[in-house]
Amino acid sequence: MRFDLLSRLRHRGTALLAATLAGLAMSSGALADTYEVKLPPELSSSPKMCDYAPCKDVMPGATSFSERKGQPPFVEAYKDEAGQKKLLGYVMLSTDITDTPAYSGKPVVTLIGMDTTGRFTGVKILKHSEPILLLGIPESALIKFNNQYLGQFVGDNIEIGKSRSEEHLIGLDAITGATVTVIAQNQVMMTSGSAVAKQVGILKPVIRPQAKFAATTAAPTWAQLVEDGSVQRLVVKAEEVGLKSDGRPYMDLWFGYLNQPTIGQAILGKDGYAGLMARLKEGEHAIFIIKTAGMDSFKGSGFVRGGIYDRVQVRQDSDSFTFRDLDYVNLWGVSAAGSPAFDESAIFIIRGKGFSGAFPWKLVFLGNKIDKETSTKTFANFDKEYWLDAKYLEGGRPVVIKPDPTWLKVWKERALEIGGFIAFLLVIAAAYASRDALVRRSSRHNKWPVNVFKYTGWVVSIGFVGFYAMAQPSITQVLTWFHSLLFQWKWELFLSDPLIFVFWIFIILSTFLWGRGLFCGWLCPFGSLSELLYKIGGAIGLKRFQFHLPQAVHDKLKWVKYAVFFGLLAVSFFSMGLAEKLAEVEPFKTTFLVGITNRSWPYSLFAAGLLGLAIFMERPFCKYLCPLGAALAMPTTFRWFGLRRKDECTSCKACAKGCGSLAIDTKGNIDQRECMLCLDCMVLYYDDHACPPLAQERKRRDKAGQPLTPINGKGYFIPIHPVPADTKKGAAA
Amino acid sequence: MTIADKNELRQPAYGNASGPGWLIAEIVDHLWPWAGKGQPAKKSIQLAGFALAIAATIAWVLAALGRLEAGAIIGWWFGWSVFEIFVRLDAKPYVKEGPWWGHLYRRATVMDMICYVSFKNLLIGAALFIGLRTLGIVQV
Repeated sequence: MRFDLLSRLRHRGTALLAATLAGLAMSSGALADTYEVKLPPELSSSPKMCDYAPCKDVMPGATSFSERKGQPPFVEAYKDEAGQKKLLGYVMLSTDITDTPAYSGKPVVTLIGMDTTGRFTGVKILKHSEPILLLGIPESALIKFNNQYLGQFVGDNIEIGKSRSEEHLIGLDAITGATVTVIAQNQVMMTSGSAVAKQVGILKPVIRPQAKFAATTAAPTWAQLVEDGSVQRLVVKAEEVGLKSDGRPYMDLWFGYLNQPTIGQAILGKDGYAGLMARLKEGEHAIFIIKTAGMDSFKGSGFVRGGIYDRVQVRQDSDSFTFRDLDYVNLWGVSAAGSPAFDESAIFIIRGKGFSGAFPWKLVFLGNKIDKETSTKTFANFDKEYWLDAKYLEGGRPVVIKPDPTWLKVWKERALEIGGFIAFLLVIAAAYASRDALVRRSSRHNKWPVNVFKYTGWVVSIGFVGFYAMAQPSITQVLTWFHSLLFQWKWELFLSDPLIFVFWIFIILSTFLWGRGLFCGWLCPFGSLSELLYKIGGAIGLKRFQFHLPQAVHDKLKWVKYAVFFGLLAVSFFSMGLAEKLAEVEPFKTTFLVGITNRSWPYSLFAAGLLGLAIFMERPFCKYLCPLGAALAMPTTFRWFGLRRKDECTSCKACAKGCGSLAIDTKGNIDQRECMLCLDCMVLYYDDHACPPLAQERKRRDKAGQPLTPINGKGYFIPIHPVPADTKKGAAA
Repeated sequence: MTIADKNELRQPAYGNASGPGWLIAEIVDHLWPWAGKGQPAKKSIQLAGFALAIAATIAWVLAALGRLEAGAIIGWWFGWSVFEIFVRLDAKPYVKEGPWWGHLYRRATVMDMICYVSFKNLLIGAALFIGLRTLGIVQV
């Protein structure tokens, strides 16, 4: 009867897995409204942007729209009133203004509407590449997040988190599990809105105190100017704009600030400098740019008289300064000794009142990146910071507090959580490192000295790491690392999720030290939940229904997880998006990020099925399906410190019978790739009532009236060496 | 040691060396998959291995000259790695047991060798690939 039930359970388990995987595959596109959609190329290039974008959706009531205008570009929205066009507001495409990447490394293309008073009227996502919004969190969450901007003033201090009225800070509710995406989206909204609001006069420029230049008599050479930072270099590689390299950079620019007399005279000569300064009105500034190499012009091929130089601009904090033809002055030569040859040059005049030479600023090269797969162009900018050296400023450089990068903000906000998590990992690692002492204190019937740490690890990882912090490691992170390692490594991307980052450092170190078992067996939230369910099932009377697959079947099925891993890896080289979808074979998002009850039925059924099966079979997902486990099992082959074995283990099957991971083979060797480091075999190793060779020796000594010496590191009683009789006599005398 | 059956232990030809000599032998062992003096190996696998290694080396040289694209060099390296597993299983069928600085080796199963070669070649490939990309020769 029992065998019949077991057999049915096994059969049902396999059928359930197959059915739910098929269901997942069929339903994976259901929530992908704007995920990686193909947008018309004219959207980013045509003057009539609103012919290709739903501008009316973000500007309710608008009946017509202007062509793109301004730099960065935007369109004006009008309403017909009694035959007259009335300006309603402005519509902007985020990627015309900023290329701020979201979690995927690609920008979320957003259409933004803003009325004439600077209040947001509409936000619409046109395209995103966020895998979490594809499979984990519904897009409606991002729409709901964006709706929080409606009616907000662009000049307000809006950030993710709680509102703090005393700091005049308006807080927005984040999307749980997509913190990085919404932080990036907030930057996109505020940067885009501010850029347009400043152009149309809604936001006034920040007035900065003007620089007072220190008088020097030095005539620096080019090399000296470069060394002290008075001349900076901005290089854009061909591959950074999606072009094939022919050995030349796409753009190699040198630039500097000319108002400072020492620098200005070094670059232009005394007469040239005097002539230029005579042309400048109060509050105006001049910079020079020379191009020493490159494939294109920095002035822009599309430039027409009366137009805007659309390839270079100056930014100071959030203020942008663009150049028109009247802001251009010819630069015929550079006077500084040792200056390089150049084939294009310019002096640009900054006329905005907010600019100050005393504070840092950036020269920005505005480029277009050509996507190799689709040949579409996307906006990309490249910048280089410039700040006059202290010796050129009276009183030195002013104090400037730079805003923290996004990842650092996240780390600061979660400092307590991060600290607690690190402490937790260290405690578990220390407990495992002391395993010899712990297993010696345990016995077959009392494993609490080990289990107190292991069970604590499970509970904390399920509750805190899994459900609260949503820091469940995933195979998608391994795939991302793999690609980043080969193609483009971005620390910011990995640092943006601090708990995951800390967890991975721990996983890598512990895998090389002890194997994957410390993570998989003690700390993986889903693995812990699975085994906890198994233990609870046993404790509440379901033990008689619990089973292991026969070793021979297990030995075949265990390879499935490697096939899943290699399959995902191979697919990721063709399409990362598809690999992300297929990575739903991990039920982690359903379990921890979204919740089993909050997802469509195939996902819920799959996760619930695996957890249900885990009540009867120890860790079915970890043993047979988990691609992350497979990825970690491979370096586990080289783990430094393994568990111990005795010679008798080759014939004795005591440990193998009790091994829940089925990791001990017929020769008594431990398959370290399958071992979850539960330490049950190590408890037996030192237990003189459970380990057959030890028990045998114990009984022999009891019969012979010999003392039970301590058990040594090799798992045997320390041998008794009888002292020879004549030595005894000598000692007695 | 997770090995109970001592028959599983193996000793490479340089196993008794010590100090820098042993370290150099280890490095050579990682980089040279073919059998050394006194080690048995099937001639056919050895010759095919040599041929494929030359082809893979030419692929890297072409990549270094900027005449092979990123996808192609990854494909070549993957192909060579698959073959290296067969070469090593034939000529050097052992892997390290325990820490890398230890002198204990065990018989390599197919999975041991897949893990060893894939991990080693991932590191070598990534180092070469990143080097070529940093020099601007390979573009992605």
